[in-house]
Amino acid sequence: MQSYDIIVVGAGILGLSTAYRAQKAGAKVLVLDAGATAYEASSRATGYLSLRGETPAESPLAQEAEKLWDGLDDELGYPTEWTQKGRIWAALDEHEFADLQKLYRTFQKTDVPFEFLDGATMRKMIPCLSERCLGGIWTNRSGHANPQRTSQAFGWAFTDLGGEIREYTPVLEVLVEAGKVKGVRTPQGEIHCGNVALCAAAHNPLLLKPFGIHFPLAPVRLEALVTTPMPPLFEQAFIGNGLSIRQTKRGNIHMNGGPYEWINLEIGREAAKPTTQTVRNIMRRAIETMPVLKGAQFLRCWAGIVDIAPDQMTTIHRFDSPEGLVTAACSGHGFGMSPAVGVAASELLMNGATRMPIEQLSLDRFRDTPSDWRERRRWEAGQYNT
Amino acid sequence: MSSRKIVIAGASDAGFKIALAAHAAGHDVTLVDEHPQALKDMSFDAPWFYGAGLPSALMNDNSIAQSVLEASPQLMECIEAGIDVRVSTVLWGAFRNGPNCLHVGRPKVGLVTREGNEILEHDALIIATGVRDFVPSFKGWELPGVLGGKAGLALLDLYQVFEGKRVVVLGSDELALRVVRSARERGVEVAGIVEPGESVVAGPEAAAWLAAQDIPVHLGQVIAEAIGKTAVTGVKLVSLDNRPSEEIACDTVAVAIATLPNIELPAAMGCEMHYVADAASWIPRTTAQGETSLEGVFWLSDAGGGNGDLHTAILDRIGGAERDSRVTAAPSRKVSATGYITSWIDALHKTGGDDVVLCQCETVSRAEFCGLAPPQYLGKSLRHPQTPLNHGDDATAPRINQDFMKRMTRVSMGHCQGKRCRDEAIFALSLRFGIGLESIRPASYRFPLRPIDLTLIADDDETDDIRLNWQMWPYETRQG
Repeated sequence: MQSYDIIVVGAGILGLSTAYRAQKAGAKVLVLDAGATAYEASSRATGYLSLRGETPAESPLAQEAEKLWDGLDDELGYPTEWTQKGRIWAALDEHEFADLQKLYRTFQKTDVPFEFLDGATMRKMIPCLSERCLGGIWTNRSGHANPQRTSQAFGWAFTDLGGEIREYTPVLEVLVEAGKVKGVRTPQGEIHCGNVALCAAAHNPLLLKPFGIHFPLAPVRLEALVTTPMPPLFEQAFIGNGLSIRQTKRGNIHMNGGPYEWINLEIGREAAKPTTQTVRNIMRRAIETMPVLKGAQFLRCWAGIVDIAPDQMTTIHRFDSPEGLVTAACSGHGFGMSPAVGVAASELLMNGATRMPIEQLSLDRFRDTPSDWRERRRWEAGQYNT
Repeated sequence: MSSRKIVIAGASDAGFKIALAAHAAGHDVTLVDEHPQALKDMSFDAPWFYGAGLPSALMNDNSIAQSVLEASPQLMECIEAGIDVRVSTVLWGAFRNGPNCLHVGRPKVGLVTREGNEILEHDALIIATGVRDFVPSFKGWELPGVLGGKAGLALLDLYQVFEGKRVVVLGSDELALRVVRSARERGVEVAGIVEPGESVVAGPEAAAWLAAQDIPVHLGQVIAEAIGKTAVTGVKLVSLDNRPSEEIACDTVAVAIATLPNIELPAAMGCEMHYVADAASWIPRTTAQGETSLEGVFWLSDAGGGNGDLHTAILDRIGGAERDSRVTAAPSRKVSATGYITSWIDALHKTGGDDVVLCQCETVSRAEFCGLAPPQYLGKSLRHPQTPLNHGDDATAPRINQDFMKRMTRVSMGHCQGKRCRDEAIFALSLRFGIGLESIRPASYRFPLRPIDLTLIADDDETDDIRLNWQMWPYETRQG
């Protein structure tokens, strides 16, 4: 009978980061995924580290992630394309400007050095930024990396240490005996272990449901696109006019944002991720934001699925019952958070506690969330653009 | 039978025929074809591989349009019948309601020309996109003068702007013979045919004709290099049994080894696909009515798509007949394209070495690709060697994922959207790692089907609803 110390469900960036830390700390770890490595949210990610000015309760963990990002290439031995050149939230109209001013008051509750700048100062930082930019928020901290390379860097560093990844092996059920985790069930049979880490995005709630555990997460489909390479334009992680816009090291402009569609997932099934004509609206906004993008060519678009909690924050939770079970999900900013989440989740599994600042991120905060929260929020499957 | 709005993608032979039949049956037909392409689009080598040496006469749009009409009586017939024919129009995407996507409304295709774009609603979509050139890598394949068989035929017959005087043809199947005949009709000298096998693939009659025409056939050989500083001045051949290599002077190398079906539209739409060895490609599974797994989306292959009975069945189905869910086998061919392409790639990779550039857009060699080397601009290497092989105990799972290879090496991620190199990349992986072609998950096809200027396609008629409800992800925290 195969047996592992820890089985990680989900070969996305959170799962691989957790698996890497646990294997490095001496555990025998197996990662299982319903599909291929980094094929769901981890392939959709913009690639930003957000320091979470929007949700200050998460900011301490994000800042731990930032410290880990700075040494990640050397730690893992594989390039992640980490670029530490700061982050910008730009307003292109009065409405957005007012929103950002309001948001800035929340940002100031963190100990990250955020500043509010005028349009001219922003255009000095990003010369291709539209004349319409009125100003916004800036920090010289945080940055961005290549989502696929980073996920794979964790994956390779994990298998270099003797860890094992099995793709196309969905977990159908977490097995529990006498209040303790004993393994998982897959279509190929049971695999036994002492601990399970659920890092399977919006599949987490489905796998927790049999234990009467309510993890409020709503899956949503979002669209992204990339252009042909452009000359170097900007290195900051840019947000504005309803888009995230990142220039990759190769020069391609990667962008996403806009209408999104709430959906449901099924256990063990790869979800359909179609794209729509909405990409035309994304392009229009991109040109409004940086007119130089008129000269770019639309190269490809895709959709991804992101899991969102009611408060749009990270959750990391260790259960008392069943024993040996941890879950993590990050509401669409897991890419940046992943180095710290991996440390936290692996420590929770192996030591029962972690040095990472996750006090406010447990599932306990949803104790009063009603079971029909998605309907109330208009986040149930089929809702669009709400 | 009620009249339906039908979009036909591709003015291939099959596309023309079903367009006329659908029009005659009273349907409202729009026939879309990307040719003649803008010069910039031709340089992406999709679907036809023109290479870097586009004749300047192509810049004269009027004379090109005239040549196309003269060379294509079927096009003339469609226009005269009153069919809405859109040439020089790229169908860049197709959108419809389906799982996790409930708000598209009526099925739509996105069309774009050099002037602007249009979203066209329809009831049925018939995909008759024909074939594209398959051109494997060899030393010097980026030089002006190297082109694909279909591109060569287009320049010779369709646009009548071929500038070469002396051509060497790679391959000896039907496509190669068509290139040879067309070249000679236009007064272009054929300096030789190169074939890795032991006989002319098109058969003994073709071999006899070539001999009678005094066209040298170099059997048991492949190209080692296209020679030339700024353009092709000759080819160097290499034999598979170590005979001394030959050089032939020429200004054009026509790579007429094989064509592959243009599957990017059905693949990107999510039609269920299966690997068909004869076609050396994944193609959509279809019913006896030519319908794919997506209702109202039909596939007409280049090989069997001209069949009138099939057209009748398709039009009956569009007219309201029940879906016949019996799946049909793909039409078989005389020569398996998989076997023939494999023989070329095996020979080219064994004789040509590992430093040949496989991906022109991103300048990645065969060795860098198969060894998963990070792109050179990162200036970094892998701490330990890694393999593309997937491990697991699911016997039905793909063993190699081409998207993963793409993301790690950037091969097939460039300007040409992988149209030049993605197929050779799969064959190379199959040969090097001993994995069957059907066990390799092919790289996803994505919209747009061709690279498009952002300005041409950006939405200029955005509704207030979209504008006002645009979500500022991810910091939108409006409460319900």
